[in-house]
Amino acid sequence: MTDVKTDERTTGTPGTRAGAVRALLRGTPENAGLRQAIGWGIGLLVLIGAFGLQTQLYTGQVRTVSTVFMFVGLAAAWNLIGGYTGYACFGQVGFFGLGAYSTAILMVHAHVSFWLSMAVATVIAALFAALVGWPLLRLKGHYFAVATLGVAEALREVVINLPKLTGGGAGITIPTFGPDAPTPWLGNDGFYVLFLILAAVAVAVGGVVAVSRGGYALRGIHQDEDAAAAMGVNTTRAKTLTFAGSAALTGAIGAAYAFQQTTLFPVRPFDVNITVLMVVMVVLGGSGTVAGPVIGAVAVAYGQEWLRQHITTGHALVLGAVIILAVVFMPQGFVNYASDAARTGRLSLLDNVRRYRL
Amino acid sequence: MSQFLQATVYGLLQGCIFGLVAVGFSLVWGVMNVVNLAHGAFVLMGAYMAFELNQAVGLDPFLGVLPAAAAMFAIGYLIQRGLVNLVVNAPIFITLLLTFGLELLLVNGMLIVFTADYRSIPTDYAAHSITLPGEVHVPVGRLIAAALAVALTVGLSWFVRRTRTGMAILATGMDRGAARLMGISARHVYALTFGLAAALAGAAGAAVGSVTTFSPADAGRFTLFSFVAAVLGGLGNTYGALLGGLVLGVFQAWGGQLLPGTLVNAVAFGALVVILAVRPQGLAGRAFYASRVEV
Repeated sequence: MTDVKTDERTTGTPGTRAGAVRALLRGTPENAGLRQAIGWGIGLLVLIGAFGLQTQLYTGQVRTVSTVFMFVGLAAAWNLIGGYTGYACFGQVGFFGLGAYSTAILMVHAHVSFWLSMAVATVIAALFAALVGWPLLRLKGHYFAVATLGVAEALREVVINLPKLTGGGAGITIPTFGPDAPTPWLGNDGFYVLFLILAAVAVAVGGVVAVSRGGYALRGIHQDEDAAAAMGVNTTRAKTLTFAGSAALTGAIGAAYAFQQTTLFPVRPFDVNITVLMVVMVVLGGSGTVAGPVIGAVAVAYGQEWLRQHITTGHALVLGAVIILAVVFMPQGFVNYASDAARTGRLSLLDNVRRYRL
Repeated sequence: MSQFLQATVYGLLQGCIFGLVAVGFSLVWGVMNVVNLAHGAFVLMGAYMAFELNQAVGLDPFLGVLPAAAAMFAIGYLIQRGLVNLVVNAPIFITLLLTFGLELLLVNGMLIVFTADYRSIPTDYAAHSITLPGEVHVPVGRLIAAALAVALTVGLSWFVRRTRTGMAILATGMDRGAARLMGISARHVYALTFGLAAALAGAAGAAVGSVTTFSPADAGRFTLFSFVAAVLGGLGNTYGALLGGLVLGVFQAWGGQLLPGTLVNAVAFGALVVILAVRPQGLAGRAFYASRVEV
């Protein structure tokens, strides 16, 4: 009898279809399994739709959409450490550049095939992250952000100053055809599929983390690290593993980026703006959610492209204004705002402003 | 030997400029726990104000420090009161993103107004140098900039320790709740702090403009220097930024002599990471601020 009462209170009006939909949106423990199944289903449909989209695009658009997928993957990877765990990694682009340069060096100097190089680059990025993460993950807040930023900048400087290996500032070019090429270039369509798969993997990892025991540990660390440790979470291990996993995904995407670009200069794959874009995408979409990074990455990457085409001078100025407005009016991100609004029925953006106001 | 001495002197002078650029950044970080990514843009705004005043009425850039600082104070106060105060209690990504958006807005605004050309504020004395025994040259402009850095740091130190307003800033930084119970208006104090930091950035900009060239694209570099100097020196001390700047300047000057290419940058960032890992409160930081740092 008590069970029924609880059911009524938490799920609203049972029996009606609208009541059932509202209950689903509210996310009660009873329908968690169903919600998960629906989430995976929607994800699969989007993935199939993205494959179908490829046939409808012409060459220039294929490249643009590939870039959007790249950012979806990067944002989803950053979300693991930044969103779930709450560690503001501002050096994520370091792993991207590390993956890119590992691939380029292996393909140019050791004539290793792209696929093997990508696997090795992924492992290198993960190991490097574990190595620097072990001491640096003791830091919190801005200090962790600065330390990781320093790591990424140092990596770039190392790459610039090893010209024999990396080509230095003059760049390094991966041979893509003829007898020198370890793997022939994949073509725009090939890279579309590759980036789509990488993005799907990154988002799927986020989906698994969101519902797994480890994911709860990460969110526990985010909310109160001491409490999480007291509950028996090995926080150092959890943080380091997450950091390494996030770096591995980022490194793999960097590897694909290197082969897509074929010529690498140190400035671009270590551009701090790539890190900032990942953070912008995750925060605007909704950090610590599965769909947030995807929505944020698509919106920001597409919006940036739209601005670039429609406003010739000052598109970055508009982007800055949009970021400011979005951060003030929707600081918790779109997905969190939408799910809160569905649960409480409060749509006012001013409530958001009041939340963090002094 | 003389080369080494010259490098050291140059590094110290450059370090003072780093310290001058970083002092406001460190203040805002220490008091509000906000990392202001738009700080470098503030520095450049000060530089362009001094540049325009110099072009229009021939005002000396070191006198231009005063109007630049006053204007930047007003701008900083309004930005904090109207914008940053809205998200000051949010997780750090939010304040980082807000100030990054502000940086994009200001830097691109300056690119449109002033173009990407490199400018400098010419004076007939800044490029002269005093020759010390041992063939060590000291450029006059940099010497004045260094003196300004020391004077502003000492002045800020006096202000926060000896005046009621300054103590209100310190108190709010230590415990905002308690400060509010004592009748301090946190909104106003935060805005004052941000305005003060912007004024110091503006003053730094005017001084920087007279000793080197600048363009809107330098904003990120100035923010990065401020980051490094603030972390090296540690938060919670007004002279921490100057100390950090001096260490950074000397380190860079020596590294430039000893290491090939730009490897000195790699070593500098590596050293930053190591210092953060080993002594996150910085060289002169206070234990209280360090308590925010580690788990």
